[in-house]
Amino acid sequence: MTQYLVSVLTEGAIFGIMALGLNVIWGWSGDFDLAYYGYVALGAYMTLVLTIGRQPPPTKYILGLTLPYPLAVGLAVASAMALALVIGLIALRHLRGIYFSIVTLGAVYVLYTMAGQFVPLFNGYQGLSGLVNPMADVLGIDFNSYQYFLLGLAIAVFLLVYLFLSRVSSSRFGLALRSLREDERAAAAFGRDIYRLKLKAYVLGAAIGGLGGALFATYVTAFNTSAWAPLETIVLYAAVLVGGRGNIRGVVLGVFIVIVLIEESTRFLPEIPGHPNIVLALRPIVIGLALILFLRFRPQGLLPERRYMDPAQSKAKQEVVT
Amino acid sequence: MHQALLILGFGLVTAAILSLSAVAFTLEYAVTNVANLAHGEILTIGAYAALVVHDRTGSAVAAAVAAALAGGVIALAMHAAVVDRFIRRGTPTLVIFIATLGLSFVIQNVLVIIFGAANVAYTISPGAPFQLGPFLWTPVDIEIIVSALAITAVLFTIISYTKFGKALRAVSQNRELARVSGINANVVASATWFLAGLVAGYAGFILAESIGTFTPSFGFSFFLITLTAAVAGGLGRAFSTMVGAIIVGIALEFFGGYVSPGYNLAFAFGILALVILIRPRGLFVNARRSIFE
Amino acid sequence: MTTQAPVALEVRGLSKHFGGVRAVENCSFTAPEGKVTGLIGPNGAGKSTAIDLISGFKLPDAGTVVFGGEAIEGLPPHRISRLGLIRTFQTPREWPLLTVLENVVLARWDQARETFWRGVLGLQQAQHEATTGELAEGREILEEFGLMALRNERAGNLSGGQKRLVEFARIRMAKPQLVILDEPMGGVNPVLGERMALAIEGFIATGTSVIVVEHNLPFIERVTDHVVVMSQGSVIASGPFASLRSNRAVIDAYLGEMPTYEQPSA
Repeated sequence: MTQYLVSVLTEGAIFGIMALGLNVIWGWSGDFDLAYYGYVALGAYMTLVLTIGRQPPPTKYILGLTLPYPLAVGLAVASAMALALVIGLIALRHLRGIYFSIVTLGAVYVLYTMAGQFVPLFNGYQGLSGLVNPMADVLGIDFNSYQYFLLGLAIAVFLLVYLFLSRVSSSRFGLALRSLREDERAAAAFGRDIYRLKLKAYVLGAAIGGLGGALFATYVTAFNTSAWAPLETIVLYAAVLVGGRGNIRGVVLGVFIVIVLIEESTRFLPEIPGHPNIVLALRPIVIGLALILFLRFRPQGLLPERRYMDPAQSKAKQEVVT
Repeated sequence: MHQALLILGFGLVTAAILSLSAVAFTLEYAVTNVANLAHGEILTIGAYAALVVHDRTGSAVAAAVAAALAGGVIALAMHAAVVDRFIRRGTPTLVIFIATLGLSFVIQNVLVIIFGAANVAYTISPGAPFQLGPFLWTPVDIEIIVSALAITAVLFTIISYTKFGKALRAVSQNRELARVSGINANVVASATWFLAGLVAGYAGFILAESIGTFTPSFGFSFFLITLTAAVAGGLGRAFSTMVGAIIVGIALEFFGGYVSPGYNLAFAFGILALVILIRPRGLFVNARRSIFE
Repeated sequence: MTTQAPVALEVRGLSKHFGGVRAVENCSFTAPEGKVTGLIGPNGAGKSTAIDLISGFKLPDAGTVVFGGEAIEGLPPHRISRLGLIRTFQTPREWPLLTVLENVVLARWDQARETFWRGVLGLQQAQHEATTGELAEGREILEEFGLMALRNERAGNLSGGQKRLVEFARIRMAKPQLVILDEPMGGVNPVLGERMALAIEGFIATGTSVIVVEHNLPFIERVTDHVVVMSQGSVIASGPFASLRSNRAVIDAYLGEMPTYEQPSA
């Protein structure tokens, strides 16, 4: 039982990190980015190729180093940021709305195709594996206790990201970013460099996604193309939307509902003989329906975005203009 | 040279299927301003419907009709249950776009439940390939090309010469104005989606025939290429979309033939990105204009 | 020879074509500093396009715009804004999910506090003071506009007239050298007209020159010192409003008599 709980919480924390990153791009900057899971995947892949060393052929992949784990994760995040910079430089310059989404969808599919087809990159469809208990020897953790270490690590990173984003949200940078989402023209009329701001948000979101991916690879010890379909981004979007777009508390709630609750509830459904796929397919169906229903009936999500409530009282008589 | 013509021949088959799918998508967009991300699922459902009917009856014609009808019905359902409801509330098109993505997710997985996730194959034999001029085609290939031409001709006639076509064009240009002049925009939109669904369902059938096997997600993969063709042709413009589809279909076949078919999607998106970024179509940003125009 | 009065904005030979349509054609005018300049003309005269060109939201095909001693044509809108030229839009463009106070406070672009790291870490005392001072200023301005009670309301929930006032409050906060108001009376209850006129006077008093594009000619007569008339893309006349009423070219452009100022019924 504890093992199950540990794994659920670990997964929840990792997806929470991913969803928080997505919230920066979509919730705050307002860009419906479909390339997001590509940054998660790159974070995962890079963490692996930087730690598993050289494995014998026929596995083929780039790098194959055995760097210390924290360094590998740092570099993985940096590579996700670099990729986001490239895609963002192109896509954010002139495109908005569905054209932006379509181009990012295209970009992530190019990545997905390359990862699967171009074997020398990340070993093609077979993918990479072998990241077993990083830092266990350094910290003296035995095999059985490692899961607790990983849980602690995931939660610690999640809290760090959460606090950091909380800071960003209440900063003037965060406020300026949200004004872009609300009305770009007005933001430009008041001196905001839209391109630059959005690019910064995009790279920041991708960095957090890459971090989530790195942790995910650590948790699963492996990663290949079947672990990520670009369409998986929908699950993260559903989490952000259901919880409350633009609102980091909401994101946490959304991850809990969409990923933890739905995933776990479908796990306990009985197998129906003759239709082995029902349980597996039910999860995305529920998530997709939740997405549509929330867009229709509660697009702001369950927890609406917080606003700054000014406490000071005015001394003059307050007249209301209508 | 011989090789190139051969590939051109295959390209024409791909182009035929692609043009039907792209035109259907464009019709959906034209009349609702929504890029339907679940469009590929219409093709998939058409393919599965044809499979079921063909297994029961053994008739390829019945299968084709079933594919078209299934496509039409599902497109109509998509419009009535999701798209139209959002439009009536005045929801921004980007939000509806996201909703159709959710719809795609749902439909693909419903199909997994019903039919399983594995590859299924048509038992319709494509026939033996034979030489027709410089091209090497099977009888099914020829059926595909001929039927695509026929359907395109019918669509052209409907759009250009019938009263319905006129209403369709009016709604696609300016929904409010069309309404004011007495056209029931919702009925026209629903009928257009049904028509687009008929075409797309049939496209799914011939696509499955052409490839031989398919899965619940094959429509979505093909849709990504459809999107390239539709955007290249100009979203909402039916006939330039067809031209775009033909070009993309042939280019794709050449790329697959000379480089590698596994990278088809990547290549298609390469084209898409280039088109969106470089070639201004009035819908996109021009070098002489700022982002706000 | 008289000495030239200082000029807030000078437009020379501005042109913009859309396909075959000449939206703005060789448009030239000046807006004097410290005054309110009206920009009027019949529908389709090119006023809005001219504003877009001046403020950087459209790129001109030809011509030059001189502001603060610099040529600003072709610059992106945020650069022009940072140089001290702010414009409003035909529809109120508040930031709907942000509160009224947030809308006003955000009007001022602050490089120091908006860069990522400094903005996020925000450890400097100077920054903290700046924020507190800013909030106080914002409250004062809101009070002046009678919006203090609404300061924590999400701006999107306000009425059209209230949104316009928020826009004005934003301008007051930003204190630009020049503000261009694009049809501020559009969709607004005429009762608010006087309040807006007072707000415009407030701008002048705090050192902001004003250009106002309007169809509401009584309003133009009330607030402006100097009026520029556009028709079919170019300037056909300029001068004090009273002088234009009998100007042949202006009357022709408006196809008949110019509407006269009427006293609002009590």
